[in-house]
Amino acid sequence: MEPVIEVKNLTKEYKKLKAVNDLSFEVQKGEILGLLGPNGSGKSTTINCILSLLKFSKGSIRIFGQEMKPNAYDIKRKIGVVFQEVAVFDELSVYDNIDYFCGLYVKDKKQRRQYIEDAIQLVGLEDFKKFLPKQLSGGLLRRLNIACGIAHKPSLIFLDEPTVAVDPQSRNNILDGIKTLRDQGATIVYTTHYMEEVELLCDRVIIIDKGQILASGTNDELKALANMEEKVTIETKHLRKEQFDYLQSLPNVLEATYQAHQLVIVYRQGNHNLSHLMEYFKQEQIQYDRMYSQRPTLNDVFLKLTGKELRD
Amino acid sequence: MHNYRYTLKTLFKNRMMIFWTFAFPIILGTLFHLAFSNLEESEQLNTMPIAIVDNMEFQSNEALVSAFTAMSDETSEDPLFTIQYVDEEKAKALLKDEEIIGYVFVDASTHVMIKNNGVEQTVFKLICEEIIQSNEMINTMIEEKMAQVGNMHITDPTAMIEQIKQDVMERMQEETSYLNDTSSEHMSYVVIEFYTLIAMACLYGGMLGMFAVNCKLANMSHHGKRVAVSPTAKGKLIFTSVLAGYTAQLVGIALLFAFLVGVLHIDFGDNLPLITLLALVGSFAGLTIGIAIATLVKSNENMKAGIFIALTMLGCFLSGMMGVTMKYVVDTNLPFVNRINPAGLITDGFYALYYYETLDRYTMDMIALLLFSFVMIFISMFQLRRQRYDSI
Repeated sequence: MEPVIEVKNLTKEYKKLKAVNDLSFEVQKGEILGLLGPNGSGKSTTINCILSLLKFSKGSIRIFGQEMKPNAYDIKRKIGVVFQEVAVFDELSVYDNIDYFCGLYVKDKKQRRQYIEDAIQLVGLEDFKKFLPKQLSGGLLRRLNIACGIAHKPSLIFLDEPTVAVDPQSRNNILDGIKTLRDQGATIVYTTHYMEEVELLCDRVIIIDKGQILASGTNDELKALANMEEKVTIETKHLRKEQFDYLQSLPNVLEATYQAHQLVIVYRQGNHNLSHLMEYFKQEQIQYDRMYSQRPTLNDVFLKLTGKELRD
Repeated sequence: MHNYRYTLKTLFKNRMMIFWTFAFPIILGTLFHLAFSNLEESEQLNTMPIAIVDNMEFQSNEALVSAFTAMSDETSEDPLFTIQYVDEEKAKALLKDEEIIGYVFVDASTHVMIKNNGVEQTVFKLICEEIIQSNEMINTMIEEKMAQVGNMHITDPTAMIEQIKQDVMERMQEETSYLNDTSSEHMSYVVIEFYTLIAMACLYGGMLGMFAVNCKLANMSHHGKRVAVSPTAKGKLIFTSVLAGYTAQLVGIALLFAFLVGVLHIDFGDNLPLITLLALVGSFAGLTIGIAIATLVKSNENMKAGIFIALTMLGCFLSGMMGVTMKYVVDTNLPFVNRINPAGLITDGFYALYYYETLDRYTMDMIALLLFSFVMIFISMFQLRRQRYDSI
């Protein structure tokens, strides 16, 4: 099956800086592709190149099997974009803002009316139709931003960090809305630096840093790259050196650190590690405040690949 | 139509735009009216006392003699000048003692001397300037005719020269008589302030165009990015946005005119269609400045508005908004400034309609305004035509 988006060897240079460096990837119909990377990694630049907003130095971009150009209106008609920055008119009501942007895609007024109602319902702004943007909270404003980008029912949607600076309630609402769009058959490209969102939403993930793809695959495929199974953290002030050395020498332990009264043990395999630890601490009568276990996250993958945290 | 309708709605709901383009000119007009109405009553242009240095050069310049004689004709109802014909020393003394507002001194060229800057002095200088220019034009005409005569086979050259002289003097009489007529009927220097106010309103309307275009450019605003990814052609969006800006601008100008004429009872003369045409063209020029700033200045909207206001204010200042003397000073010393200053051109166009019987100067101002607008559009087109950007 032909991919919805096909990016080949995309390179974007700003003078001597390569913001995007020889990027190639595909997006299949109906999937949610996550572009994960820290701020400044080249995610938004990639999106802007795909949308023909930015000139690029090398490479080719095809959408729905056709070359993407600024005047490729047939392609643009099927695309919805939610940019990182809120772009609504302060002078227009919630309803009018959605109507304005939707009207750039859909000429039929009756159809548009229905689409607007659907979009308002999707983002949960039913009670705010006549409100002006300045009367909305930050979270509601983000929801309006999304509604303006997807009201025309596009089959390909770009969401560029749509949940930045959003309260938890609005974030959940936004993520639920995105799932709904996916269920309705839309193909989605989702850029973020929140790994939790990627893990929750995306079928496939591309990890980007400094304009290059570091890794790509499903969540499980990527986590396998971290070469770890479980991470246990114990908060204690009473660990002696010989006890730490003993724990570090256990057969499944990949790595152990003890800093700032926090012991972190990373295991290769994950069978009963936590219960064994609890048993040892009881036996040695070591007091501790909290002990918890975590599965590997994409942040661990990023750490493994780049040596730095995703949000550094 | 969709974009036009919503752009118009956005413009009319934007308080900052409404203030600067609709309310501010009306407020300023009211202040002018309050400030100048008493002044005008107390300083109605009465007959102005002047002196002329009565030397050989003056006496031999028949055109000048004729013009000043016509404008100091005591038999007329309201002569412009009372003239004392004196020597240069006496003229200086009279000026020093403020018994006259200025004097004319002719040697190889014609000089107008004044002591203070005031309304009467400015009017005196403006009129003298006009006479001197006409005189020079007539001299040129005489020289040309004489050259023609020299090349022709004429049976009676003396009669021919007399005829030329006669023609030229008639022209001179016409020039002075219309100056006399219009000044006595309408001359109100305060109206010049209102001309500059209208010029300012025409130009300020360009902010609407600036705002309308700014939010359609992907490299200038977040709204522009969103609009740029839509399937509506950029040219169509820009055109309908500019049209909406122009519509809003014209509404503002219409309101201002209605206020000035209907409420403040400002007399703009009898040329309403030509005044309207000038306002339309002036507004268009303002619009093109707005578009140029929107496309060329990469900054936020407030910064662009600041630059726009500063530029138009400077233009209005140079065209005489804060004092008619400035118009004269610029016209005399840096004439090219007001030939490329749209506020100066609009003001001058109104001025020409008011003071001149012919439309030559008005037409020149209109042409200059249109040229200015096309230059602005041409500059803006480089940016407007771009579809992809190096950075956004």
